[in-house]
Amino acid sequence: MTGPDRPAGHGANPADGRIVVDNLTKIFGDQRAVDSLSFTVEPGSVTGFLGPNGAGKTTTLRMLLGLVRPTSGSATINGMKYEALPRPLQTVGAALEAASFHPAHTGRQHLRIYCAAAGLPARRADEVLELVGLGQVSRKKTKGYSRGMRQRLGLAGTLLGDPKVLILDEPANGLDPEGIRWLRGFFRHLAGEGRTVLVSSHQLAEVQEVADRAVILNRGRLVRAGTLGELSAGTATTVVRGPALGPLQQALTDAGFGGTSEPDGALRIRTDQLAHVGHLAFTHNVELHELRLEEFDLERLFFSLTEGEHQGADLDPPGRGQRPGLPYQQQGGAR
Amino acid sequence: MINLIRSEVLKIRSTQVWFWMALLAAAFTALGTIGTVVEAVNAHDRGDVVDYYAVFTQSQGAGVALLVLGLLGLTTEFRHKTITPTLLATPNRWLLLAGKAASYAVFAIVYALICVLLNFAIAIIWLSAAGVPLDYGHGVPGGVLKAFLSLVLTGMFGLGLGALLRNQAAAMVFGIVYIFILDNVLNFVPWVRKGYAWTPGGGLKAFLSNGHIEGMPDDVHLLAPVAGGLLFLAWALALLAVGGRFSLSRDIS
Repeated sequence: MTGPDRPAGHGANPADGRIVVDNLTKIFGDQRAVDSLSFTVEPGSVTGFLGPNGAGKTTTLRMLLGLVRPTSGSATINGMKYEALPRPLQTVGAALEAASFHPAHTGRQHLRIYCAAAGLPARRADEVLELVGLGQVSRKKTKGYSRGMRQRLGLAGTLLGDPKVLILDEPANGLDPEGIRWLRGFFRHLAGEGRTVLVSSHQLAEVQEVADRAVILNRGRLVRAGTLGELSAGTATTVVRGPALGPLQQALTDAGFGGTSEPDGALRIRTDQLAHVGHLAFTHNVELHELRLEEFDLERLFFSLTEGEHQGADLDPPGRGQRPGLPYQQQGGAR
Repeated sequence: MINLIRSEVLKIRSTQVWFWMALLAAAFTALGTIGTVVEAVNAHDRGDVVDYYAVFTQSQGAGVALLVLGLLGLTTEFRHKTITPTLLATPNRWLLLAGKAASYAVFAIVYALICVLLNFAIAIIWLSAAGVPLDYGHGVPGGVLKAFLSLVLTGMFGLGLGALLRNQAAAMVFGIVYIFILDNVLNFVPWVRKGYAWTPGGGLKAFLSNGHIEGMPDDVHLLAPVAGGLLFLAWALALLAVGGRFSLSRDIS
């Protein structure tokens, strides 16, 4: 979409698009759903808003969008509360849940209603439906849509006003592998256009592929925020496997390397000094079957940051089903 | 505001509810007209005074349809969770409520036009065929205007009730119980009925009357028509205000 028909919200001011959450708190009854949360989302970045279900992600996003009233603190977009934005749909596109549709409306009717509310031409609905791959089913009632189609329709709604800021809550929920693949491409497309994207998810690996920043939340509190580079600093891990790693483990401990022993017998050592570890194995006559540097894993970082705190049984555990291993000392030596 | 009204009208138009409510409105109008015309023909045959006011103000029968449409205005949004995208597009909840009220007023006017035409068509054809002379005096023009206004107010009343209750099933049951049961109970039970004049039904009945209402108990004294209309307006505005302040402004989570 280019030229004079392009909604004016996009690219009007290069400084636009900053999200600031300042000391935000929400208390429901006696439960602090969000607790003194502060973070900033920089313009033009794709930021993962991460945490297990119940961490307070959705409540935070709803406060940001004026749907839930904060107990204290503030959340602003472009320096303004959402309610104060003069043209909200042209400024922010938000998809919060996959089933916010009247079942008797077609996808096209659903979007045209909000086109009318935002003063956008009705044809914009057709354009965004094509963009998310729903052009063929745009005249089908939403009650006949699959979960994936509903997610896409929700995402189409975020693009109606061609906003610079996009806020997406668990967009991968319920998507099949094909849908998730499509979603990754969609994120890349948005990021390529220089939009500010804040995407919440409890599927950390999905976000890691597209985000350049992350805000990690647990039990309503900020755990860590920063670029993936900042978050990954000092998290390099060397993985070692072999039939009898006891002597190596002792040598590593003596050399000051920390790490964990996995249930399957592997050692995970917090260092990127592969050569040093290999040399220690050689000098202690330890047979190795595997010696590799593990790539940065947001899931593993999340678990290491919230170890012993979170109750996120619904969060996909790291290492494809394995929780972090126990420290050497607790494990009582590698097997 | 114009964009908001366009959006709300589109919402109503894009389901079949408006059509079925139009049909309901036409049915109530037709039934009411037929009943009053038969009475008018009998009165004429007996040599009694024909109640032209009653005959030509039966478009008020569309009120039930407007009440239901109004009730659905917000409760549907909560039921299908479309309140979230609606508030994302229109974050100011008072503005949303005003836009919805204006949209239902638009529909009320369209329904009223249809029902007035139907009312007049049935009445004129039937009375002419029965040899009853047509007479548009006896306060008929004012009565038609009041029936018109009552439909706008009834839509707002339903919208306010829906804003207050939020739950669609509860709002529909309450609305129907009120019209068909509670209103009659309030109008009938001794002592209780002394306050009937101040209820929404009492105000509306007074507004739509031609100054006198037959069949009312002696101890029920309805307000004057204009005062009754203002009372019903006050009820509608109060429901919208209370619904907006205490229900619609709650967290959408």
